[in-house]
Amino acid sequence: MSTRLIGISAVVFLSIFVIQESLVSQFRLPGGGFSILIIFALSWAIMSEREVAAVIGFTAGLLMDLSQSSSGPFGQWTLIMLLASYGISYLGYGDDNFFGGAIGVVFSIVLANLLLEVMFLISGPLLGVSIGSFSRIFFTLLGTSVWTLFITPIVLPLFAKLHKSIFQTGTLT
Amino acid sequence: MSRGGQSRTRLLLVILIVTSLFLVTLDLRGVQLLDNLKQGTQNVLSPFQRISNSALSPIKNFFSDLSLLGRSGSQIEKLEKENASLKLELLERANADVQLDQLKNILDLAGTAGYKIVNAKVISQGSYQSFAQTVTIGSGSNAGIAQNMTVLSEYGIAGIVKEVYPNSALIQLAIDPGFRIGVRIVNSQQIGFLSGRGERSAVLQLLDNSTDINEGDVLMSRGSIANRPFVPGVPVGYITTVDNSAGTIAQSATVRYYTDFSKLSVLAVVVGGPKSNPGDALVPQKPQPIPTPTVTVFVTPTPTPSN
Repeated sequence: MSTRLIGISAVVFLSIFVIQESLVSQFRLPGGGFSILIIFALSWAIMSEREVAAVIGFTAGLLMDLSQSSSGPFGQWTLIMLLASYGISYLGYGDDNFFGGAIGVVFSIVLANLLLEVMFLISGPLLGVSIGSFSRIFFTLLGTSVWTLFITPIVLPLFAKLHKSIFQTGTLT
Repeated sequence: MSRGGQSRTRLLLVILIVTSLFLVTLDLRGVQLLDNLKQGTQNVLSPFQRISNSALSPIKNFFSDLSLLGRSGSQIEKLEKENASLKLELLERANADVQLDQLKNILDLAGTAGYKIVNAKVISQGSYQSFAQTVTIGSGSNAGIAQNMTVLSEYGIAGIVKEVYPNSALIQLAIDPGFRIGVRIVNSQQIGFLSGRGERSAVLQLLDNSTDINEGDVLMSRGSIANRPFVPGVPVGYITTVDNSAGTIAQSATVRYYTDFSKLSVLAVVVGGPKSNPGDALVPQKPQPIPTPTVTVFVTPTPTPSN
């Protein structure tokens, strides 16, 4: 990746992070809401090569750890996002990709979002994070999945265009 | 992908994983650098949050109302524009009224107990992705707020100050799964610990297993040494169900907080505790039952025609 690509991507990442922290976080949405940063990172990861996806996940996770409302130790989201982005890219990149088409990408992002929440829940208690009652966890997982399913199709075309204009690869059919 | 490319990807992945684990280890060992990074980020973000909050607060819950504006015809458009601006003003006014009400109730609560408080608006909600329950307020260390201070809502306990920045502070809400508070029951003076569990109800564990607790019993905060993190005498909640299962070591119950955590717009941080323990001065009054009007219906039978 060239310095120019890294610079432009960093600006895009920071902008999405500021939108998440200052705009999306204003709303106490029923069911827990969504994270625009997670949707963005996963959608970019799915359109990128594996090593780029790993860097995308690492950067997104680092920003999520920098968020003051992140409850786990610093680095927990970095690790989870890194693994999730690498995994989704492993399955999604190339002509023989696992998902095929925009609808497949949307559902894979929702599934990946759910899986990384579960990874957080599993790793959280090991690192001393309190996670709450079972019913609360269930409704949060359900709520965030529904919100992600609702928001992803709206923002995916924009994220795909951004990705294409920066990396010159990764179109959705 | 070529063999060289694959091994490069693997190497990069390993480096990034090791870096992540290194960061986790540093944080768990309490390295100051990471705290400073978080603090710097929040200092940069808080002006954005403040602007977004003031721009969005009138319209947060009224998307449906605003989406109906602007339909057809120049006259209608003009009237609708006026209507929209009046609606916006009204919404802003309604929003200000709600905040004023909350502020008044908080001041009443703090005044009765003799707490010295700093009021602040909620400027951001915490992320649900981490299963934490937090909010950010628009005042920080510049206003005298420090870590581990009690935070009040208009009805009672709201949480504690978890992190402080110059112009903002992160509040751990009482419903956060990591929140613990020492409480006493008003009537029996039993003491116990209350733990948040992510929703408005919390779990109470009593230290003494011998006495009875009842549904409706009111809980107040016990207070901490030097009033931090908790000042004494703050209303916490009331018992909704008592767990009487045999064989339990400690008696437990489910408690409902007085504070409605979905409607927090103004909070108060207790920067100075009371000179004397307010005791039960803040126990909320039980709601007075409103008499239901009895409706009596008189029915007069219509005479049947006789043949």
